[in-house]
Amino acid sequence: MAKVFLNGQPVEHPHEVHEHISPMSTYNGVIGALFVLTGLTFAVSFADLGPASLTVAMVVAFVKATLVVAYFMHLKYDDKFHLFVFLGTIIFVGIFFGFTMFDLKSRDALNDEQETFVRWKEQTNEGKGLPVGVDNVPERRAKILAEIEAHGGGHGGGEHSAGHGGGEHKAEAKAEHKAAAH
Amino acid sequence: MSTAVQSQDPHPAVEPSYLVSKRGLMSWLVTVDHKRLGLMYLASVMFFFLIAGILAIVLRTELFTPDQDFMSAQTYNQVFTLHGAIMVFLFIIPSVPAALGNFLLPLMLGAKDVAFPRLNLLSFYVYSVAAVFLIVAILTSGLDTGWTFYTPYSTSTGTAVITATAGVFIAGFSSILTGLNFVVTVHKMRAPGMNWNRMPLFVWAIYSTAVIQVLATPVLAITLLLLIVERSLGIGIFDPAMGGDPVLFQHFFWFYSHPAVYIMILPGFGIISEIITVHSRKHIFGYKAIALSSVAIAVISFVVWGHHLFVSGQSELAGVLFSFLTFAVGVPTAIKVFSWVATLYGGSIQYNTACWYGMAFLWTFTVGGLTGLPLSTLAIDVHLHDTYFVVAHFHYVMVGGTVVAFIGGLHHWWPKMTGRMFNETAGKWGCLLVFVGFNVTFMTQFFLGHQGMPRRYYAYLPEYQVMHQVSTIGSYILALGLLWTLIYLLHSLWKGDKAPSNPWGAVTLEWQTQSPPIEHNFHETPHIHGSPYDFPEIDKSAGALHH
Amino acid sequence: MSNDHAHAPAHVDDDEHNPHLAHHFDTMGQQTASAKLGMWLFLATEILMFSGLFLAYFILRMFYPEMVLEAHEHLSKWAGGINTVVLLSSSYTMALGVRSIQLGDAKKLRLMLVLTMLCGCIFMVVKYFEYSAKFEHGMLPGKFYSAHLHGYEIEGLPHIFFGVYFLMTGLHGVHVVIGLAIMLWMFIRAGRGEFSAKNYVAIENTGLYWHLVDLVWIFLFPLLYLVK
Repeated sequence: MAKVFLNGQPVEHPHEVHEHISPMSTYNGVIGALFVLTGLTFAVSFADLGPASLTVAMVVAFVKATLVVAYFMHLKYDDKFHLFVFLGTIIFVGIFFGFTMFDLKSRDALNDEQETFVRWKEQTNEGKGLPVGVDNVPERRAKILAEIEAHGGGHGGGEHSAGHGGGEHKAEAKAEHKAAAH
Repeated sequence: MSTAVQSQDPHPAVEPSYLVSKRGLMSWLVTVDHKRLGLMYLASVMFFFLIAGILAIVLRTELFTPDQDFMSAQTYNQVFTLHGAIMVFLFIIPSVPAALGNFLLPLMLGAKDVAFPRLNLLSFYVYSVAAVFLIVAILTSGLDTGWTFYTPYSTSTGTAVITATAGVFIAGFSSILTGLNFVVTVHKMRAPGMNWNRMPLFVWAIYSTAVIQVLATPVLAITLLLLIVERSLGIGIFDPAMGGDPVLFQHFFWFYSHPAVYIMILPGFGIISEIITVHSRKHIFGYKAIALSSVAIAVISFVVWGHHLFVSGQSELAGVLFSFLTFAVGVPTAIKVFSWVATLYGGSIQYNTACWYGMAFLWTFTVGGLTGLPLSTLAIDVHLHDTYFVVAHFHYVMVGGTVVAFIGGLHHWWPKMTGRMFNETAGKWGCLLVFVGFNVTFMTQFFLGHQGMPRRYYAYLPEYQVMHQVSTIGSYILALGLLWTLIYLLHSLWKGDKAPSNPWGAVTLEWQTQSPPIEHNFHETPHIHGSPYDFPEIDKSAGALHH
Repeated sequence: MSNDHAHAPAHVDDDEHNPHLAHHFDTMGQQTASAKLGMWLFLATEILMFSGLFLAYFILRMFYPEMVLEAHEHLSKWAGGINTVVLLSSSYTMALGVRSIQLGDAKKLRLMLVLTMLCGCIFMVVKYFEYSAKFEHGMLPGKFYSAHLHGYEIEGLPHIFFGVYFLMTGLHGVHVVIGLAIMLWMFIRAGRGEFSAKNYVAIENTGLYWHLVDLVWIFLFPLLYLVK
């Protein structure tokens, strides 16, 4: 005879799986809301909100995340213990963030006061910035400069538009590079 | 008489035990039986215990005289790093949960297996791969960072940091999978009637451990990933010369590694709870207090990591906060120690080997715990930090606590695991040697540290010599005791008497099936109607339920 | 206790004959609940793992606010935005896939899995173009950073920002690829008729994993691409 229990307790109808099945309208509504919120946060990013922009973006992200977790991941209808696991995890992430940020923030203040420092700071290193990236590796720097030289100087030159047509560009550059090598 | 468990073994030995139910090497290599996996883990962790133990003896021998004897400073650095890294990641962390826990958890819950048997097998192989990585690191250029891999040294040293951290990273996954498996097992696999208040305390301890493993280990994974990337790509987040913050690494690392200290000790608490109550034949004092204090320790362990950073440049404000929180750990820990002592009081104590180890634990762990208090005091820690006092403290907790509990548990469950009884007299001599050797080795180090001997030095000032020599001799006694224990336990496998199904008269479920258990643990799913510690009336003259 | 066996329903035998029930479980309900709890715990480990990188990001922001703002201007909002829409859509189709199999429609499940995989692939293609642009401009992590040689001047220490950018999106990308592999496997298993309205926990867990990948992106997108 099958033993019918779960969590150490007898279960009345173990052979029946009682899962909540959401109607299509729920899924359609949620995805609609997610798209609207994405559009919203995208649009807001063009407005200059200053420091408030982080808060706005995070609030929107939290709302979106809640929708996904509650409806797509069925947490709203699921075993409450799963909700406990999920929220518990968030609390431990909070502990991790909270204590670490607390130390770093209070340490910065004290270091400024006592004029000691652990890491590099612009204010205390006026005029002598840290070498950045390849500047620390002279051979690689020279190699990259030579490559740039080989196909006609740097592109962009302070131009601040990102992500333009990467793929073709790269292929082109490769071809040029090959040609130069031969 | 309120017998807690009905399901006695009605037809003993009609089915072959798990050891012989299937034969051949392959039946072991691809087994999903939690008992076999437990034994495989046991053999593996014992192997690494031996390796790392030999390294420890080598270190102590070098320290016999103040000057350099047979090791250069560089070799010494490598040897203590390997001693630490192997002991922590390949021995202590998997020792009790993966070896004893795997074997006992489903048995104690009345289940046929853990919730995910194949995942269990996978995590054993993941552990093996991790071990291979660490061995490769040793055989190539070694490792000299200390087991903590502090930046920026770990990003600049020429030794095999990436191989070793990759090994630890992989070992972390094994730990996560085991923890996840155990949490689900405890939640979903309990036998009928086994509610939370009827679970053995070992299960509570393993459960709390598993929760820490699940919550803390992922952060270790990302920390080591950042370290590997820092070393290979130089992203600079931990490197002050590139604009990063070295103390940040310590935050990341100790967010895992401080809870990991409790991954190491909590299962030991669980073993002691079982040993003390069974061998004093008395209901455990404060069942709920012990059970919930395990959970409390698991939670508090996440908010105290900053006490490793008292002198690392952490802000004083954070230091004060972490110091205060660290004292809070003392509360649930003391609850446990007092409950064990209260359990012994008025009990009908059977002084056999497992019980001796339980008593030894009470002494060594209490010393280890109490010396944690001066270390968590901010001002005193500035004096004691990075001295032998710290070394002595954590060896008292990890060796005196976890390892002593582990060996005690091994003796307690040896008849169940192997179906053989070991020689009690030999066992008591072994315990005595371990206890004396351990205390001579590490008690001395408290004084050394207090007088200013810094840790991790291969040479020292002549005035410390006498105490270093005492400590070294103590370590030889300890090694002798462990070797002796290994010999008589192995001997019992061939020459030991056949074990009855319940030699100690315990009430928990693992003793209600035959020794060693059958492949599916129980002939019939047990039903539980009471506490795991309701011992039948004690017959003091006849030594209770021995036969 | 005498009534332990009293309430076992007559058709409990269904479970005993169910080929999907593993030997150590007693009922399908127990097996399903275990698998789902296991998945949620796994998701907890994933969240904690990613949290380390998010913390690194926030600390970087705290240390060098101007640098982070200047460097993030070099990420393409449009690529990030398109990927957000693509990933949200894939979450939607995945959720519908789970719903289909809850209703016992294995055919529709396979269709939804294909659509989800398609979205995942689009995501990776967009990612590829994004990464290529970054490589082209020398906006690389740590000691490979050479954007200033390519004519893109960013004040401060942008090599750390791009280190964190590549780690976060890279680890996320690895999760997308793993998700695609799992869905392919589920697609094959669904084709073999392994799933039904009574046995679909594997699909549900795949869905949970995929939604988590989506969740991580929901936070990555504004933090890396949008926030000023």
